[in-house]
Amino acid sequence: MPAIRAVLARTLEALLVVLAMATLVFFALRLLPGDPARLLLGDQASPAELASLRAELGLNQPISLQYAHFLKGLVTLDLGRSLRHPSVPAAAMVARACVPTSELAGLAVGLAAIFGTLAAVLATGPFLGARRVWVERAAVAVASTPLLSFAPLATYVLAVRLRLAPLPGDPDAGAAGLFLASSLLALPLASHVARVGRASLEDVAKAQFLVAARARGASQARTWLLHALPPSLGPILAVVASQLGALLGGAVVLERLFERPGLGTLILDAYAARDMPVLEGAIVAAGALFVLVQVAATAAHAIVDPRVRR
Amino acid sequence: MKWRNAAPVMALLAACAAVAPTRDPERLVPQLSFRGPSMAHPFGCGEAGVDLLALVAHATLRGAALAAVVACVGLAIGAPLGAAAAMARGRIERAVDRACDLVQAFPSFLLALAVLSAVRSPNRVHLAFVFSLTAWAPFARLALAQTRVLRGANFVEAARALGVRGPTLLTRHVLPSSLGVLAVQLGSTAGAIVVSEAALSFVGLGPRGGVSLGSILEQGVACMLFAPHVMAVGAVAIMLTSAAVIAAGRAIE
Repeated sequence: MPAIRAVLARTLEALLVVLAMATLVFFALRLLPGDPARLLLGDQASPAELASLRAELGLNQPISLQYAHFLKGLVTLDLGRSLRHPSVPAAAMVARACVPTSELAGLAVGLAAIFGTLAAVLATGPFLGARRVWVERAAVAVASTPLLSFAPLATYVLAVRLRLAPLPGDPDAGAAGLFLASSLLALPLASHVARVGRASLEDVAKAQFLVAARARGASQARTWLLHALPPSLGPILAVVASQLGALLGGAVVLERLFERPGLGTLILDAYAARDMPVLEGAIVAAGALFVLVQVAATAAHAIVDPRVRR
Repeated sequence: MKWRNAAPVMALLAACAAVAPTRDPERLVPQLSFRGPSMAHPFGCGEAGVDLLALVAHATLRGAALAAVVACVGLAIGAPLGAAAAMARGRIERAVDRACDLVQAFPSFLLALAVLSAVRSPNRVHLAFVFSLTAWAPFARLALAQTRVLRGANFVEAARALGVRGPTLLTRHVLPSSLGVLAVQLGSTAGAIVVSEAALSFVGLGPRGGVSLGSILEQGVACMLFAPHVMAVGAVAIMLTSAAVIAAGRAIE
């Protein structure tokens, strides 16, 4: 089955990317100038403290042995214990932080896919008449405004002025807070989806099979959503996959803005405290999450569009 | 040159360069903390009474310089790489193409964290290095696509028939014809770097001293309830700077 082979090839590539990421983190922390133990303990640390921390982190061993140990830890999900909270295993902290980030990013991808595709259909189909150019213009305007600029401004307007949404950092925000954060995160992605989807739909719009569907009495909505959309999904899924990196970066910014727990917050806290086991684990986990979703997008494309399977 | 497109970035940089020497972003007047805009401080004051106009002017200049350097490094690495890969065809071409795919989709934010975790307090040289690690990919991708079209063109064929080979063929005949498209990418890469640098300092990974557009935004978010002008200044400054830099790319084209 060529489809399975394509997905397998992607999975292999994804594993290589995660390995490269893990290797980079590992060597960045150990080979670049600067002693990790000294970074952790500061300049006033006594030689005895430094020595005991080096032994704890295994920094006395040769680098190849440390690397092997690190990789084994990744595979067995045993990263050692957190340096800041010595009673908690680092892997558990990373696993716990993955949940809110997956919720945030997953909901954002879902919202972006739905609203982006709808906007693309509205911008191409006959539903809005001459007003459809405004959909396209709105998408361009959103795509050219950085998330970093409009997310705080939108939060100020919605949460402080209009009181429609909970304030950032409100522990009782719950579903409304999650929804606000992921809608903001979804906006840039939705505008990309809308633009690419529109271009892709334009290609399909003149096809004979749409005329045939209309001739058989299918309504406009049915023609566009059931006949025109599926063959145009390929580029849409491709653009979602290519924007995942930006999405993850945006998730870190939004977690900081809304003071939400998650991988981004965990990485930043671990970075500030030089909590190496947690930092390594969290960065690798974020990378793994990223490639996992990319593989999922490839597989989804193969399922939706039979032309890819051949 | 399309001067109309160059105007915003020129105006912005000139204004910042005119203001920057007259105001010190490190001078703190605690009794003016979070004071709103006034004649003496047109953008108001931020945390510990720092003059926001001074902060914006200095941060914009430094951010724009960083973005320009990274974009040029990206062009210098990516364009020859992509063009050479397309001329070589076959397996090398496919490998470079796939590498561009991976690097472009990769969360550059994570990469920055991974590399920056090795230094105690990152400065702009570290940031430039980190951003250059991924900045080459879009240029390589574009040069690859352009060269695929150009390698069959008559003038390239003619140069080849005259015995022009390798690097000379690339730099004299192939690359000059793709410079227009690459210039536009120069602008969008630089615009993205302005935003990335601000995003890194927003989450607390920026250069020490806090002279960055992102740290204005960070101050602004913390005092959103009682001094919203700080956040507005930061957000608008980031938006304008990135838009002006992107327009500059179109001017070079």
